[in-house]
Amino acid sequence: MRARYDIVIIGGGVVGCAIARRLSFTTASVALLEAAHDVGEGASKGNTGIATCGADCTPGTLEAELVTRSSPGWEALCASLDTPWRRMGTLAVAISEEEEQGLAHVLDQARENGCAAELISGEAARALEPLVTPDARAAVHIPADGIIDSLRLTIGYAELAARNGVDVRTSTPVTGAVVRDGRIEAVETPHGRIETGFVVNAAGLGAAAISARAGGDEFRMWPRQGQYWLLDRELGRRFGKIVGGVPTHVTRGIYCVPTTNTSLLLGPTAVDGDLPGSRAVDAETLESVLAAAQRLVPSVRRELAIKTFASNRPASDPVYRVASDGSVPNLIHAAGIRSTGVSSSPATAERIHDLLAAAGAPVQDENPSAVSALEPVPRLLGHADPEALLRRDPRYGQVVCACEQVTAAEIAAACAMRLPPRSLDALRKRTRATGGRCQGSVCLAGVSFLFSVHAGLRPGEIAVSEPGATLGVGA
Amino acid sequence: MSVAIVGAGLTGLACAAELGADVRVEVLDRIPVTGGVHGWGATETRTLTARAVAAGAVLHLGVTATRWEEGELVGVGPEGVVRCAADALVIAGGCRPRTRAELGLAGPRPAGVVPAPAACHLAENGLPAGRRVCVIGGGDWAHRAAHELLAAGSDVTVVAPDGLHREMPERAATREDVVPTGVEGGLRVTALVAGEERIACDAVVLAHGLVPLRNVDGAVWEAPGVVFAQPIADPMTTTAAREAGVRAAADVRALLAARAAA
Repeated sequence: MRARYDIVIIGGGVVGCAIARRLSFTTASVALLEAAHDVGEGASKGNTGIATCGADCTPGTLEAELVTRSSPGWEALCASLDTPWRRMGTLAVAISEEEEQGLAHVLDQARENGCAAELISGEAARALEPLVTPDARAAVHIPADGIIDSLRLTIGYAELAARNGVDVRTSTPVTGAVVRDGRIEAVETPHGRIETGFVVNAAGLGAAAISARAGGDEFRMWPRQGQYWLLDRELGRRFGKIVGGVPTHVTRGIYCVPTTNTSLLLGPTAVDGDLPGSRAVDAETLESVLAAAQRLVPSVRRELAIKTFASNRPASDPVYRVASDGSVPNLIHAAGIRSTGVSSSPATAERIHDLLAAAGAPVQDENPSAVSALEPVPRLLGHADPEALLRRDPRYGQVVCACEQVTAAEIAAACAMRLPPRSLDALRKRTRATGGRCQGSVCLAGVSFLFSVHAGLRPGEIAVSEPGATLGVGA
Repeated sequence: MSVAIVGAGLTGLACAAELGADVRVEVLDRIPVTGGVHGWGATETRTLTARAVAAGAVLHLGVTATRWEEGELVGVGPEGVVRCAADALVIAGGCRPRTRAELGLAGPRPAGVVPAPAACHLAENGLPAGRRVCVIGGGDWAHRAAHELLAAGSDVTVVAPDGLHREMPERAATREDVVPTGVEGGLRVTALVAGEERIACDAVVLAHGLVPLRNVDGAVWEAPGVVFAQPIADPMTTTAAREAGVRAAADVRALLAARAAA
């Protein structure tokens, strides 16, 4: 690793990783610094997995601009990043009379954002998605919304960046900044000082603290907690649409979102808290999510729960600070991206590139050796031709995680990445291993064994998440 | 007529032994031995395996059943893809303890909260889940987890939400009729929460309640041609396991007869 870079990106969430990928197509030397042990450990791993087309953004805002600009490119981008994606469309379902009146606003807003949207009857909504409640009075159909594996998107961005020469340094929190004559000259980390020409602040919930350390703009950030249920694939695979309620000024509300691996996600709640934020779930909040989801889709049942979890979105005032700092000229913020970070990440990265260029960073020349796509790793789950997979690699015949049908071949491929998993959670993010309906009951021991072999770890060193959070206690 | 059976435990083997003489029977199991939770060394396992094979059943061991669609079971194993054309499918995949979500445990997600089957495997191989372990449950899995963890040198408290269904190892502390509601911890779990009470620990093993193991796509819920033979009994006796297989065989016969009549 070098001690000086043209550009240092702070934060390896979906935003920072998207920026790293974009900059990897240039000749600038770039480091991505992430405090956690893996990329995508904050809001990027706890969200609905909706890549919205922008229909529900407030028209005229930077958020609306960046989200709508990103939307048409998802098919090509996800294909290049080996990221599951499907443009399946959303139904915003009105059940009460008041909600039905609210649909006019949903429709107007979508059209103002240039997104296709159609007001349809409750009956028509049920024809599009038979799982929708018979109580539906009407709905707005937004066909261009998509679902995405936001974990694999984030990892894919970072992996491609790493292939193209970006140094992705995990477990590397920025603890200070060296500022001279109003410019950042270096950032401090526990592993030493890193000199840099420019800093991109994509530190999610930590972005305000980073700005403060560099003497940059002051802004207020706080965690907005969301709680979620993950439900069985047997229900999720029956969904053909994302099903939501009618958004209000306060929140977009609770969604039923089929995931790209056909599970069903319910959530999120939106409760403002204090830093650093809590990832604890509580029964009362989870009940409210379940009730809201059941109101939209009666076949949602508690018995189908695979997992419950909480995460924190970076709320801030104002939102969407994608701009150069007001006083530190070589500091560029990609901060306060509260809930549409995935959906806007491609255009946000492009905007940051342009801001860096305007600030004088060496991002004009194309990296001649950059690759534009990752080699896809086929998955056994749902594969049309398993025989062909086994001919390609006999390890596809060794199913390690039975619920998600993850094979030894897929685990080996994950462990051979430029950004290999350093924990069981990181392996799950890449492969889904242990993430299915039995939550590792059957496979955790086998998955841990394979992981330890690939990673060269003794059993006692196997981490579940951050270093120190070990699977067991022992040698 | 042909039947595919997922699971070569006592239930699947008994079912195969009953049906093998009359129809073509193929049995898949994800691990390379028969016996399921009762183990390949059990007398009953050896007897029933011999009976099933003598009746003509074909065993595909080390083959994971992945999906059931339109009368075909697709399995994947080191030797290749196994496709079984079948008029009926028997799911005899056994049971597992409830997950954290199924138990409704609130709180954050620290390390050290481990499903009992995994905790047993790891402890047997020298990696106990913790030094002070709370085992939630009161039946077979709780007993096995307590036994393995004690053998690995851990202190064990068995927390049994609806009482003890079998005697626990002598050195395990027991708390009956305590219903866990959550966990606490940072990187690692520090306490099991039961209402107002906190039981300090550095690992929680989930061994309570039984849920049928269902991981064949297309045969997770009720589906045409599928018979589920997953008795929920805790403790699970060899007799109960075998009898469930015999009942499943009768259900399969009825299903095939109805199909022939139609």
